[in-house]
Amino acid sequence: MNRFVFADPNQCIGCRTCEVACVLSHQDDNRISAFDPTRFYPRLTLVRNGQVTTPIMCRQCEDAPCAQVCPNNAIYRENGQVHVIQERCIGCKTCAVACPFGAMNVVAYPVERKSTSTLFAMNTIKAQALKCDLCDHRQQGPACVEVCPTNALRIIEPEEMNKLNQQKRQEAAVAALSGVPL
Amino acid sequence: MSNSITEIQETKCLFVFGYNAADSHPIVAKHILKAKANGAKVIVCDPRMVETARIADQWLPLKNGSNMALINAFANVLIEEGLYDSEFVALHADHFEEYCETVKKYTPEYVETITGLKAEEIRQAIRTYANASESMILWGMGVTQYGQAVDVVKGLASLAVMTGNFGRRGVGVGPVRGQNNVQGTCDMGMLPNVYPGYQNVDDDEVRAKFEKAWGVPLSPTPGYTLTTLGHRVKDGTCKAYYIFGEDPAQTEADLAHLRKTLRGMELVIVQDIFMTQTAEMADVIFPATSWGEHECVYSSADRGFQRSFQAINPPENVKHDWEIFCLMATAMGYPMSYRNTEEIWDEVRSIAPLFAGATYEKMEGLKTVQWPCPTVDHPGTSFLFEGAKFTTPNGRAQLFASEWRPPLEQPDEEYPLVLSTVREVGHYSCRSMTGNCSALQTLADEPGYVQMHPDDARALGLRDQQLVWVASRRGKVITRAAVNERVNMGVVYMTYQWWIGACNELTIEHLDPISFTPEYKYCAVNIEVIKDQTWAENYVQTEYSALKAKLRKTASATL
Repeated sequence: MNRFVFADPNQCIGCRTCEVACVLSHQDDNRISAFDPTRFYPRLTLVRNGQVTTPIMCRQCEDAPCAQVCPNNAIYRENGQVHVIQERCIGCKTCAVACPFGAMNVVAYPVERKSTSTLFAMNTIKAQALKCDLCDHRQQGPACVEVCPTNALRIIEPEEMNKLNQQKRQEAAVAALSGVPL
Repeated sequence: MSNSITEIQETKCLFVFGYNAADSHPIVAKHILKAKANGAKVIVCDPRMVETARIADQWLPLKNGSNMALINAFANVLIEEGLYDSEFVALHADHFEEYCETVKKYTPEYVETITGLKAEEIRQAIRTYANASESMILWGMGVTQYGQAVDVVKGLASLAVMTGNFGRRGVGVGPVRGQNNVQGTCDMGMLPNVYPGYQNVDDDEVRAKFEKAWGVPLSPTPGYTLTTLGHRVKDGTCKAYYIFGEDPAQTEADLAHLRKTLRGMELVIVQDIFMTQTAEMADVIFPATSWGEHECVYSSADRGFQRSFQAINPPENVKHDWEIFCLMATAMGYPMSYRNTEEIWDEVRSIAPLFAGATYEKMEGLKTVQWPCPTVDHPGTSFLFEGAKFTTPNGRAQLFASEWRPPLEQPDEEYPLVLSTVREVGHYSCRSMTGNCSALQTLADEPGYVQMHPDDARALGLRDQQLVWVASRRGKVITRAAVNERVNMGVVYMTYQWWIGACNELTIEHLDPISFTPEYKYCAVNIEVIKDQTWAENYVQTEYSALKAKLRKTASATL
């Protein structure tokens, strides 16, 4: 079973600290001074409407639709999460269409394609399919979880999922009893 | 605040009135969530569905400007239904008869049309508040930034008195302050009528003490309030203005009037960390250090003194605030010198009995000391009025109610919408600190936003994120529409930190008669749709660049 980051909408105050932390965590240089406003691609997005305030991000689906539909086999499951091989991404957006959570963000930006000879150097477009990668490059785990001022964000491990289910079954059993006529 | 921020978690009923913790104080919002998790009932009175309203047990979306009527109705129910603590009132409060008399006509039914709330909702809310074993009230600028503000503050405090919610943990009243360290500036005597430690300037005994300590004769009359400076300049009683850590050309109501006041001064000195628009108008600029560049003592909203330490060195030739004050005083013929901030703090302690025991030593290790702290062996005070001993001359609470006064400038045909100024989480106050943070800029940037209800937007033929003109009788600014189902119809909301979309060009300088705070929360405006959005986007960029260039030029001229 995969791990995933979950946001409790009853705890979220909509401060967007998670978005900024996410962007900083995915920069080559994590310092705030290296922040580039033109590359602001948080992998979780705050939703705020008449009913709810909460960030939405990848659920690391077991049978991930994004992985199933990728025509270039850029998305796969490993080590309890869904990975994107950015080198393979062609920016076709099929994964974004397939994702039921709107958690996949396909971005494209100009890059300089380096070559051994300056003669063959050229400007081209690089596409990336961005989604929560649980900050697997980061020893301390997901940056969003660490910075959330109200602890609305947390990592749900498979064992915790089991525990939660057990607890819900217990409650359901008690509820069932009260519904049975004597 | 009468009680501590941490005590929010201990209350059984949290009554939040005109206060948006999620945007103003995320840390307090965290305590509110903890209170809720601990089982407290949460009641929110706010026209907008703020984050606390979203998680509240009951949300009362009252009409803007109806605060006093609603509070009177709460009091009316307390009396009519016998929900108040008659023993506490008899033992510890005065003016009960007058109080009853004033609120008599404010039945929940009577205020239905004023507040837009149903009588039953009002009854239910105040029953919850009165019946909880510990109830705490929190309020913010939604109470204090009206022409009728102090009355409402007293009205809220009276609800706490009526229900015996003072002098214990997890009760009381919490005016959660509008700025960081605004509590500190009050504590240190920045109010025009008191010396440090809330000692009145017109009290002969107090004045004699300060005259002795400072070795100079002192004036027995209170000073001027900021909002009366306009008249003072006109009649020639005020000629110079020394501003530090404040950007009135951004934050005052009716900016055109404020600029006129500033221009009318013979001398304007501004001490700030960045080139603000106020600084741009100054005759003399003293560059100052930011919070990370100096050490100091802060007061939090719940009267807690905390030390803060220097993390980085300021740029060369930039002096600490206290050093600048010493040099200024000396230059004006009063030699003033201190070796360090502790020396200054010890002087404060020696002349302000409330703070006498709050030593640097006790604040060591990031500890906080809450005043009153009268002696060195006193631990500080988490909650005020223990044993229901109040700080009034006779030691008793003074119940107070007042007739409701509607806000001054009502919408009409020409200006059909109400404008209320609010906060947003990403940018702090006038933005002189957060405006230079690129991450926060990315989340929200010029020209800022005007929040409005989808139906109001539809009526104007307006789409979300379009640029619009917002105009009042005092000015006109361009801003971006944020169509938002959390705001009420007929009212639009703007945050006051933007340079281009500066909502204080529109606000009205209608003052509360006691606090002299302007009615930032209510004035009439209209919204004009801009057909050519490409032109509008270019206009914003051009104006923003021009303003930045002007400030940059002024800044480099001072080097």
